Amino acid sequence: MTVTFRLNGEDYRFRDDPMTPLIDILRQERFLTGTKAVCREGFCGACTVHVDGDAVPSCLKPVGLLEGCEVVTIEGLSAGNQVLHPLQAAFEAADAVQCGMCFPGMVMSLLAFMRDNPDASRDDIKAAMVGNICRCTGYERIVDTVADCLAQQRQTAKVAGGADV
Amino acid sequence: MAQSVERSFTVAGSIDEALAARLQGAVVLAGGTWLLRDPLRGVELPEAVVAVHRIPSLSEVIVEADRIVIGAGVTHEALGKALRGIAGFEAVVCAAESAANPGIRRVATIGGNLCSIDFPAADLAPALLACGAAVELETTSGPKRIDIPSLLNDRPGLLDQSILTKILLRRDLIASAHIRLPLRKAGDYPVAIVSLALDQDRRCRIAVGSVEPVARRWTVLEQAFAAEPGGFPRVPERAEALASEHNDFDGRDGTEADGWYRRQVLPVLIKRGVAALLESEGLA
Ligand SMILES: Cc1cc2nc3c(=O)[nH]c(=O)nc-3n(C[C@H](O)[C@H](O)[C@H](O)COP(=O)(O)OP(=O)(O)OC[C@H]3O[C@@H](n4cnc5c(N)ncnc54)[C@H](O)[C@@H]3O)c2cc1C
Ligand code: FES
Ligand code: FES
Repeated sequence: MTVTFRLNGEDYRFRDDPMTPLIDILRQERFLTGTKAVCREGFCGACTVHVDGDAVPSCLKPVGLLEGCEVVTIEGLSAGNQVLHPLQAAFEAADAVQCGMCFPGMVMSLLAFMRDNPDASRDDIKAAMVGNICRCTGYERIVDTVADCLAQQRQTAKVAGGADV
Repeated sequence: MAQSVERSFTVAGSIDEALAARLQGAVVLAGGTWLLRDPLRGVELPEAVVAVHRIPSLSEVIVEADRIVIGAGVTHEALGKALRGIAGFEAVVCAAESAANPGIRRVATIGGNLCSIDFPAADLAPALLACGAAVELETTSGPKRIDIPSLLNDRPGLLDQSILTKILLRRDLIASAHIRLPLRKAGDYPVAIVSLALDQDRRCRIAVGSVEPVARRWTVLEQAFAAEPGGFPRVPERAEALASEHNDFDGRDGTEADGWYRRQVLPVLIKRGVAALLESEGLA
């Protein structure tokens, strides 16, 4: 079966078993190895990508369901030789990353969350991370960084909206 | 990478098309979050699959004055959003919003949750039992409506020749609650689940999930509640005592917990559930 979808802004055509999990195509066919296969059963979140803007685990997404969809992986945010996405840069600046295994998934989950929840509280941020397991960091710096980025985002929106002028 | 396999994969555009494929032996694929883990359980993926995600009516939630109709392909996330704030359905909203994790909830459907036959910890099963839901199946002789216990108790037989299309809820509830006990705060399967719903006549339906292989109503406790003054225990500790006295569950052993433990925690979950019901608006 042939399935056609957009992958990081380009058309991609897959011809093989439609029950192949998306993660295998990303890593083994497209060499997009930023997306990690850790548990392969929906618990760890390391394989999270965006499908039509939603952060979902790619290990449980059969490619047959992707016809016409827009898929974005961590590589779609910033190629290795370009400036990092602001959230990635913020994590780096805050020294939040340790081994890095969970971070591609963490970034993809939190980015969609920040877009949809600009007024999120710390508890909301923690709830959004339930499906992203980090074995190194203890999470607090990640939560701090997201809270700071959201505060900055709100400040920028306020200035742009002229509310304080 | 999966081996190249000649697999039949139909993307159904209508319920009739999906049923036709099912009758020829294709396995229904909704979100795929349960099915795609078959290889990890040592089960081969099916040779023929029919995907139902492009059938528009399956992803609709229709809220009417006297009932709510939920398409079987509605995701947990969409279900929680659609019913949030509607009095009486707190248990369904809590089940939809606390099962699994956010990424899974964006993909996993209510139909998949109810039709995963080998999954005892489905959150929506006890929530819908307590809320008195009915379901509609599409069969060769047209739509067939049954109550939810009939579906849960005979899934292999029923789903062999049909597909689940709708879940129906009557709007005769004043409050409901869904209390789950995972080992961590969130993100893993619940060890035990208790859902309670109170209707306009102050009758309380109680359902338990994850303790036995299939979720079921706790009818002896419902009767004990009904015998209380006013037809419902007004003190959570009294509800807990009644639950201890009438605990007729035979807990299943599993990786997360032993059977005795699942059974043992039920009275405390009942206490929390009754406290939540009493706190709900209209019950003071
Ligand atoms: C990491 C993880 C954690 C989880 N934690 C929880 C939890 O805490 N609580 C909980 O309740 N659940 C939990 N689940 C289970 C989850 O709810 C199910 O995987 C999900 O609901 C299945 O839905 P789906 O749409 O992905 O189904 P699929 O995987 O597509 O299908 C599942 C089964 O249902 C059948 N099916 C699907 N739709 C229909 C239909 N319309 N008619 C007939 N048959 C149908 C399929 O043939 C298949 O047998 C968890 C899952 C994962 C991966
Ligand atoms: S690899 Fe997909 S959730 Fe763990
Ligand atoms: S930084 Fe190592 S798992 Fe998160």
